[in-house]
Amino acid sequence: MLGQLFIKECRQTTRSLIFWLIVLILVWIYASQLGETEIKNEPMPGQESYGLQISQDPELIMRSTLKLLTEEYFQGNYTTYPVGFYKNVTLNEEENRRIGEILEATAGIGSREEAGRMVEAWYGADSEICLEPAEGLTYDQFNRLMDEVDGILGGGSSYSEQKRRRNAKVPMTYEDAVEEYRELIEEDRLTGGYARMFCDYMGIFLGVLPVFLAVARGLRDRRARMQELIYTRKCSSLTVITSRYLSMIVMLTVPVLALSMVLLQKCIIYAGAAGIGVDMLAFVKYTCGWLLPSIMIVTALGMLLTELTNTAVAVLVQGAWWFIAMFTGIHSLGGGQYGWSLVPRHNTEMNWQGFHDGFGQLAANRAFYAAAALVIVALTAFVYSQKRKGKLGVYGKILANRKNES
Amino acid sequence: MERYWQIEKMNLKYHIPVHVFVSILMLLVSPLFMGVANLGSQDTAKVLEMYVALIGIVLLPPVFLPEQEHNIRDLVYTKYLNGSTVYLVRIFGNILLLGILLGLYIGMLGLNRCEFPAGRYFCGTLAEMLFLGGLGLFFYGLCDNLVAGYMLPIAYYITAMGGGEKYLKMFYPFSMAGGSYGEKIWLAVGGVVLVGAGVWLRCRRGRKESQ
Repeated sequence: MLGQLFIKECRQTTRSLIFWLIVLILVWIYASQLGETEIKNEPMPGQESYGLQISQDPELIMRSTLKLLTEEYFQGNYTTYPVGFYKNVTLNEEENRRIGEILEATAGIGSREEAGRMVEAWYGADSEICLEPAEGLTYDQFNRLMDEVDGILGGGSSYSEQKRRRNAKVPMTYEDAVEEYRELIEEDRLTGGYARMFCDYMGIFLGVLPVFLAVARGLRDRRARMQELIYTRKCSSLTVITSRYLSMIVMLTVPVLALSMVLLQKCIIYAGAAGIGVDMLAFVKYTCGWLLPSIMIVTALGMLLTELTNTAVAVLVQGAWWFIAMFTGIHSLGGGQYGWSLVPRHNTEMNWQGFHDGFGQLAANRAFYAAAALVIVALTAFVYSQKRKGKLGVYGKILANRKNES
Repeated sequence: MERYWQIEKMNLKYHIPVHVFVSILMLLVSPLFMGVANLGSQDTAKVLEMYVALIGIVLLPPVFLPEQEHNIRDLVYTKYLNGSTVYLVRIFGNILLLGILLGLYIGMLGLNRCEFPAGRYFCGTLAEMLFLGGLGLFFYGLCDNLVAGYMLPIAYYITAMGGGEKYLKMFYPFSMAGGSYGEKIWLAVGGVVLVGAGVWLRCRRGRKESQ
């Protein structure tokens, strides 16, 4: 029964205008964002620049972070990005006093005037500016105090755990660039790096687009006046909902996989000429591991809210979630810091090391969303079964039913 | 005039309250996660263009929703008053609501010592709201599907965020933050055309279905 319904639902999906609009948008995104992707060449000695890299050296992190804190303490206002938007934070006297104490403990700067003198001296300096941490300050103490500063500022500041690890930027040497390239070729076998970048771009759109298909599917029965007819069928609610869900997941994943083949082909051509062995299944693995959980959770939430309300409210809810996820992730574009974001970012084919270090975090993130999606689908089946029994009103609205009863 | 006011009264009473509530909620929660005080003109433009303008998608596309049921639509089209007049009155009313909400928000930014050219930013943001909403209205009219009406403006917004300036050119919605205003005129004109085309498509479909 499930198999038959699944095939029927897939056929229905291919007749859905919304589905084809989603495919069209995905093709457009691929063409505009990744269409002109060129496979990275090996770095050559003597290049003018190899770019910047983020240093994880605790000493450098402390120096650059304390320099930032000194400047903002002197200016009396602090820049934060709680969800990616600029926020200027001005502290009250007591909070400012505490920041002053922390600055004294970490950098030995005793007053705002002293901070001002330092900042003025920096303006005229040509060489790399750095601020020596106070003698005896350990990295653990520094981290604890910076966490406190970030807490006082309300989060999203340059002193948060996530941001301060990215404060120290140093120029990349030829050796660094060669090492990074080696990781792309040997560890990622070329395709792994490009598959991650593909997932980054596609993930942005797949963090919201599936909800439209779920909502359109949820409202279709009522629109076609088929709701009551389907309710009377023998098939269990779980089978109906699962077949719908699976069909949407499969039908959304297929175009993504098809698009990934274009980039895979580019990689294969390049690797063939350069004599590099590629991982042919990298795009499939990354699509299933990285993008599928996003498709699953967004579709599941869309189905649940549509079944509950019989309205398009899921679009608003998902839109809001996507908006927050996107803007909070704006500072971790380089990858390696995936957290619990709905849209994990890794906007580069490089940084295998970052991916490797953050893999556990990413795996937990994706597993959580996939599991949550399954729970939500079960909940949707329950709501659907209640509606079939007439417990949530003719049109499925809880409030409408209450009205009817009164 | 009395007749138009009656249409708008019904709109305000039955059709739009939830959407107005969502829009107000969106504006009220904004200070929780973005700066709305002591902003320069660039940051103020960013808040208005990237966040506040989104209420255009919430308030404009649903103007066709009350007649989504085909039976109701058939009934409405048998009335003496033209269906397009009803839609245009609702659209005008909703644009007025957008203007009021935007005006209040801009007033709040001004009170919070943000420095920006209020009149220019008001018109620029309203133009973007009109374009986003018009895009939704057009696709709703074209596909007879509210979901399409929400999806296309959101896809347009995401495209613009992802370096869309290169592709959207004069229809790039976040130009004020970059110091350019010419795009807003294109957006305003585009918005009016899209709204008009959306209403025309909707009425054309309605007439065809009634025949």
